[in-house]
Amino acid sequence: MNEPVIVLDKLSKRFGDVQAVREVSLTIAAGTIFGFLGANGAGKTTTIRMLCGLTHPTGGTATIAGHSVWQERQLVRAKFGYVAQRFSLYPDLTVEENFRFFGGACRVPVTQLEQRIANLLRLADLEEKRDTPAGSLSGGMRQLLALGCALVHDPPLLFLDEPTSGLDPVHRQHIWNLLYDLSHGGKTIFVTTHYMDEAERCTEVGFIESGRLLAKAPPRNLKATFRTKLLEIDVDPVMPALVRLRNFPGILGVSLRSGALRIYVPDPERLISTWQTNWPFPDLKLLGKRWVEPDMEDVFTAYSQRYDALLTSPAT
Amino acid sequence: MKSSFHAIASVAYKEFLHIYRDRRVLLLLLILPPLFTLLFGHAFETSEISDVPALLINRDNNARTQRFIDIVLQNKTFRWRQAPPEITNESDLLANQVQATLVIPQGWSDSLSAGNPKPLPLYLDGSDINTASAAEGGVQKSLADFQVKERDLIVENLPDEVIELGKKLPVQIRKQFVSLMEAWTAESKILYNPKSRFIDYVIPGIIGLILQLLTVTLMACTIARERESGTLYQLMVTSLKRGEIVIGKILPYLGVSIVLIAVITLVAGFHFHVQFYQPPALILICLLFLLCSLGLGLLISAFSKTQTQAIQFSVFFLLPVFVLSGAFAPLEQLPQVIQYLSEVFPLTHFCRAFRLVNMYHASAVFYAVDLIVLFAGALVTFIGAAFLLRRIEE
Repeated sequence: MNEPVIVLDKLSKRFGDVQAVREVSLTIAAGTIFGFLGANGAGKTTTIRMLCGLTHPTGGTATIAGHSVWQERQLVRAKFGYVAQRFSLYPDLTVEENFRFFGGACRVPVTQLEQRIANLLRLADLEEKRDTPAGSLSGGMRQLLALGCALVHDPPLLFLDEPTSGLDPVHRQHIWNLLYDLSHGGKTIFVTTHYMDEAERCTEVGFIESGRLLAKAPPRNLKATFRTKLLEIDVDPVMPALVRLRNFPGILGVSLRSGALRIYVPDPERLISTWQTNWPFPDLKLLGKRWVEPDMEDVFTAYSQRYDALLTSPAT
Repeated sequence: MKSSFHAIASVAYKEFLHIYRDRRVLLLLLILPPLFTLLFGHAFETSEISDVPALLINRDNNARTQRFIDIVLQNKTFRWRQAPPEITNESDLLANQVQATLVIPQGWSDSLSAGNPKPLPLYLDGSDINTASAAEGGVQKSLADFQVKERDLIVENLPDEVIELGKKLPVQIRKQFVSLMEAWTAESKILYNPKSRFIDYVIPGIIGLILQLLTVTLMACTIARERESGTLYQLMVTSLKRGEIVIGKILPYLGVSIVLIAVITLVAGFHFHVQFYQPPALILICLLFLLCSLGLGLLISAFSKTQTQAIQFSVFFLLPVFVLSGAFAPLEQLPQVIQYLSEVFPLTHFCRAFRLVNMYHASAVFYAVDLIVLFAGALVTFIGAAFLLRRIEE
């Protein structure tokens, strides 16, 4: 394992009566693409904003390259780039002017600035849009510009808060390809998302729910914590089956995937053998069953819904 | 230091682009100052009241009242309309569409002859204080003129015996009588604004009004806009220091304001022929006032969450300032308590200092206090804004 870049120790944040982040401890090594997964309001953005020194922790500590993210925030800021959840560049400034402003604000030496801007325009594929106001760019291009602005001072670490939310698949792919390139170039990337397929692309994933860190491991290891085999059945018609099975005794949850139902249950083998002899819904037809590999969404559902019976303790 | 300079320049250039790209604001900045100067300059050009619509009712028609009417009709203060004596609604100014009604009551002439002069009923529209007092003064003046004429007439027609009798009086007494028969006068010499031009008085008011209106509201929007659009966080994760952000944001507005002052003084100088005395002192006063206004805008900006709030706060602050700062009327007319309150406003000190230099040609001793207050105001608002920005960060 590489040396740790980001270290959180019982990091907490309370807004009045609301405990947004509860004692989150984790370590992120250099070169990692760390995916921070959670539902809206789970505490992802609050954590990332604490790490960026935009809001002060109410408990615990966090360091970036050994420096406190709050007490030494002025120093730490030179070491990371930040892409906020909301588009937050200047819409009335052109692409190049945005680059130029953030370059100046991040103290890129004047002698290097031109070269840096040229590189970023190429990287973000915005050379043709150089003189377009940022406000007139499409959503995907805005995000590429935001990423470019976060990279203007060539930081070793990058924070991205839901960089692909609301983007079409083409631009999502473009952003991720860029992130791979950056990771390959040695940068550490901390990205929040609620897309499960994006979690698969990370080298490490952390699950957060109600401010608590539930698990943190590489995606493969997380899937390995799924203890039971995962049962998938075909039923016709599918919707009434979904509704009734959700409340069926012994079943923890049901999820609909490509027209089939995934059943979260502690002992699926016994359940299916009972069903094959004695199907409880005469008006619905059980067409088939198969065993599937759990994907990231299954694992996240199991962690966030506290289906503890399905999980071994996570390998962090 | 070099990198700090570059950082500030980046912020200033960005802020300038915001102004330059916002065509509506740019238009406002280009058109409002000369327009306001022309408007206010001409609006307050003549402070003398004339042609007040007025009604004259004569219920005592004879040679003597006719002599009075000849005099009063000459009075430029009024635009008279004569009404027949039998009308009864003389006190209904609104229905008669006049602001004053003067009645010569029946038997007035006789009462003058009888040594028991009746007063003339005069109805005045008190809704406009200035017009009412001007109208009253106008009538008094015509009455005085009439009185002198009547006196001369009586003296001319005195029988010779009376004149002979008068000559027997001691010379001293006679001289006193002659003196008493003439109106005693004061020879006034108007100082500081010898031509009594209101524009000379009001020019700092115009400069102050426009500058406060534009700089406070525009400045107030700058940080609020960044907050609203989320760019403030992006700004804060850069290695910019708070002071660099504040200075960078102030600079372009300072530049714009200086251009505005130049435009206003050019219009005032060429169109209204206002003379500017001791330009360096005036520039210093303007500069301190500008810093104070910009600091104020910044302060409002730092505690407003949205641009709408920023505009609202600005208006709440600016409204009392315009009324209570002595920009358009002397502060001394206001009650003592409000005069103390008005000392809080930068515009009060700006107008006072400006007038002390430009009209009174006073030495720095007279306006040093105002300069100190403006400087302190700038300092307090800047420190306050930087402090509030720190609070946003936390």
